[in-house]
Amino acid sequence: TSGPSDTPHTPCVQMRDQALRYRSIHTQLMEMVLTLQQTVEDHIMQLTTRPQQRDLALEEQWHGQAIREQEALLGRLLFQIVSFLPAGAPGDQSVQPPCTSTDSRGDVGGGQPVQANRQTGQMLYQESDFENTVISYDLSNRGIDISALYHLSFRDYDTYQGNKYHKDKNTLGYINLGTSENKLCTDLLAERLSQSDMTYVDEDLLQYTDWRGQPFLRKEVARFLTFYCKTPKPLDPENVVILNGCSAVFSALAMVLCDPGEAFLVPTPAYGGFAFSTHLYAKVKLVPVHLESQVTEANGYPFQLTVDKLEHTLLRAKIEGKKVRGLVLINPQNPLGDVYSQDSMMEYLEFAKKYNLHVIVDEMYMLSVFDEAITFHSVLSMKSLPDPNKTHVIWGASKDFCISGFRFGALYTHNREVASAMSCFGYLHSISGIAQYKLRQLLQDREWIDNIYLPSYHFRLQEAHRYVTRKLKASKVPFLNRGSGLYVWINLKQYLDPCTFEEELLLHRRFLDHKLILSPGKTFMCKEPGWFRLVFAARPHLLRNAMRRFQQVLVEQAQERTVKQLEDAMKEEVSTPQPEAPASPALRKS
Amino acid sequence: MFTLPQKEFRMTTACPGSDSIQDLPSNKGDGLERECSRKPDQKLLKFYGVGDPAAELSSSSPYLSSRGSVIKWFWDSAEEGYRTYHMDEYDEDKNPSGIINLGTSENKLCFDLLSRRLSQSDMLQVEPALLQYPDWRGHLFLREEVARFLSFYCRSPAPLKPENVVVLNGCASLFSALATVLCEAGEAFLIPAPYYGAITQHVYLYGNVRLVCVYLDSEGVKVKGLILINPQNPLGDIYSPGELQEYLEFAKRHELHVMVDEVYMLSVFEESAGYRSVLSLERLPDPQRTHVMWATSKDFGMSGLRFGTLYTENRAVATAVASLCRYHGLSGLVQYQMAQLLRDHDWINQVYLPENHARLKAAHTYVSEDLRALGIPFVSRGAGFFIWVDLRKYLPEATFEEEVLLWRRFLENKVLLSFGKAFECKEPGWFRLVFSDKTHRLHLGMQRVRQVLEGQPQLADGAPPHQIQEPQGPHR
Repeated sequence: TSGPSDTPHTPCVQMRDQALRYRSIHTQLMEMVLTLQQTVEDHIMQLTTRPQQRDLALEEQWHGQAIREQEALLGRLLFQIVSFLPAGAPGDQSVQPPCTSTDSRGDVGGGQPVQANRQTGQMLYQESDFENTVISYDLSNRGIDISALYHLSFRDYDTYQGNKYHKDKNTLGYINLGTSENKLCTDLLAERLSQSDMTYVDEDLLQYTDWRGQPFLRKEVARFLTFYCKTPKPLDPENVVILNGCSAVFSALAMVLCDPGEAFLVPTPAYGGFAFSTHLYAKVKLVPVHLESQVTEANGYPFQLTVDKLEHTLLRAKIEGKKVRGLVLINPQNPLGDVYSQDSMMEYLEFAKKYNLHVIVDEMYMLSVFDEAITFHSVLSMKSLPDPNKTHVIWGASKDFCISGFRFGALYTHNREVASAMSCFGYLHSISGIAQYKLRQLLQDREWIDNIYLPSYHFRLQEAHRYVTRKLKASKVPFLNRGSGLYVWINLKQYLDPCTFEEELLLHRRFLDHKLILSPGKTFMCKEPGWFRLVFAARPHLLRNAMRRFQQVLVEQAQERTVKQLEDAMKEEVSTPQPEAPASPALRKS
Repeated sequence: MFTLPQKEFRMTTACPGSDSIQDLPSNKGDGLERECSRKPDQKLLKFYGVGDPAAELSSSSPYLSSRGSVIKWFWDSAEEGYRTYHMDEYDEDKNPSGIINLGTSENKLCFDLLSRRLSQSDMLQVEPALLQYPDWRGHLFLREEVARFLSFYCRSPAPLKPENVVVLNGCASLFSALATVLCEAGEAFLIPAPYYGAITQHVYLYGNVRLVCVYLDSEGVKVKGLILINPQNPLGDIYSPGELQEYLEFAKRHELHVMVDEVYMLSVFEESAGYRSVLSLERLPDPQRTHVMWATSKDFGMSGLRFGTLYTENRAVATAVASLCRYHGLSGLVQYQMAQLLRDHDWINQVYLPENHARLKAAHTYVSEDLRALGIPFVSRGAGFFIWVDLRKYLPEATFEEEVLLWRRFLENKVLLSFGKAFECKEPGWFRLVFSDKTHRLHLGMQRVRQVLEGQPQLADGAPPHQIQEPQGPHR
């Protein structure tokens, strides 16, 4: 018999090859079932095979492990099929939240066993308890769906959590340039949050409070946004609703603005978490407004959003019978890093008003504009909003203040009905009084923010951005050179052959194999394969290491492509059928 | 699956399980449940609390979705008393004529102890890792501590495991998440009534799950689980290990999940009450379907801290709940503080719990003596922060309208109580009175209660349709 982990990943490799083609839902399902069938056969074979005589103990150990791995795989396959069924409901062509997962589902967990194999049988992906209990009769269908969606969307993230790079303790761990998390200024924040004014504890903080957020914090958020968004009039604390994170705000907004099955328009590429947040509880769909990289007459710059594109998409959605309730805008944009001009923003808002749509403006990165030549205009700074009762602004401290673990997100809306319906979710998305107090202290310390924090933060962003873009230029990787956000949107099309989402996913996996996490464009609902988001808001040593790994992957990818092209050329020469060059680890150097 | 259409329900009444159904809210002697459960021929179905909010909404909003309107209706309707209170809160110096809140179940007796403990230097750690995205099911250090804590205080036969722990921002979120992952929209949980009414909203908001009271038959709604609150809220009752076992067996027979809410487990101030956590049972009938909830809101008097935890051996359920944790996470800094607090058994055992119990007991004694002096029957068993008070004789008519009128009269006299309808009690006239407040506020609050009752014409004994049965047993 072969080594322990060879057998279980055989079907994965096959599956991966199959995943290389565009397929309809039925075909995908059929393939899943076929793979399942084969895995079951393999499994039975394995179970009936007796270990060989010599070195019995070792053989048995291998044997046992192989069986366990196969069981895990079986479970996973079944699970994917089960969770695929409710998600792949017919007639649903809009981008489903499992935009990452549609891929991953097709891929049938290919990454994991392969990983395990390379690392001498050590399961690097945290298989954890997930696969052992996959087919659970205890969960509702939506419970299964939620588990699967989460697992598939955040698999990389969980992997990273289980094996983080550390410059002394774990130099072989994953470097995460995929999650948009700001790690540049944690030192400043840790220091500020350790000061004595932060440690106050009193009765009010320990009791039930206003579920919209403590009045003192809502007041401070209103003041803070008034100042940093340069609003014409002071904002009203009564219009502020505070929940534990912007995902929660988004989820609750989707609940109160849409009924199940209704939709939001979202210009893409766009932050993929929206899809997750709108789907998970609210069952609201996203209709992508696909933007294009090619500069043409209608497209003044790459991925330009125009009212024309909005109208086209809206029309198509209406024809397809979708009920569109709103438009989601991210400004500064994630992942593009674009900042909308006041005029463009006004056009989008007028568009929304004309078609009676809500507008949700996510200004998560408003203080992360590091290029001084760029001026960010908050939607709250407008003298008059076209439709103030349908304009809702989201801001949180996770990105701008490096405190994603703090769990704080705020909604500002002039619409009292929306605000009070949102308040109901305060029960489910509440923040600890103690944390609310610290946030207030933080947000009100303008002197620290303006004189210490923001200058250092912007300086570090500039440095990191400069470093990364220099490296990208050196490797001749095209990218959007923007001056905001924590990330660059890079174009690796030249490394994909053919240029498909399947190849994009394979390249993503290759990064993973090199312990580097980037976010593939598909997770942003990008229409064109080959784009990746690279988060540069990391400390220099980490970034250096990451870019080294990045370049190594590109070199390998280029080599492999050459080999493949050569083989193709030979094939044509000989004109006899040759096996397709496997896109599997077999050819890789490592 | 245990569906409760009428024929199946009759099937269950014929089987031994029926006893457990009917006796579930075992505050024997007050006549309450008897009244509720022995009338199977009356109105058979009602979705409690939620009813059909959509039907009650006269106008739809141009801005909100239809479920958004329902959600807003929840907010607008359920919070009347709470909001009135917040606009006019009592303050000894600044607003002595403000409202005293004996309605919200909060423990205000031990803030001094907690403030002091939470201000100690070990609480002040700020590590970068605490500021970053966490493991969504809770930082490992906290889950380990929770497992240790629950092993010790629930007296579990074997040490509990950190991987069975999921940490969220309170039990409300936990109810919501469990409802979502265990039920399809429109399915239901059984719950013995009267019960803590807010659960209705928790399971409905996102989950669109209903609650069905145990004493009711129902029309074809699929029941997925049973919610037990132990110690019970609002009855202050404690289930004996025998009863607990019986309910769990009942649930197992019908393949129901059991969610045991033990949020008052350390607030048993009468030692003779003999409280046992479900985690202390030697053998759970159906461990894969038994899910235990605990939080610091009540036992540590920190409802504003937002810390709740699930303990379940069912990995699928734990994983599914954890998948929702992204939306119900709590700050890393607070997680750190919670771990520090739960670790400090010396302080908990030697300082906090003895003092907390002594203060609860003193407050309880004060209120119960006051009630006795007024000749008011009540239910209370030495656990929790509240007394379930029978004011039926003060209602001119046994209707919920009259109950609300009496409640308003209390509010006008600047004292906030919770009326029985909020707990889906079937009989009008019951109120929950929270006693875990500082002496001066409690005295003033009781004085205001007395004023209202003394000014209220009392019905002659025997006049109301249902004769009151005086509570019996140790809680008298």
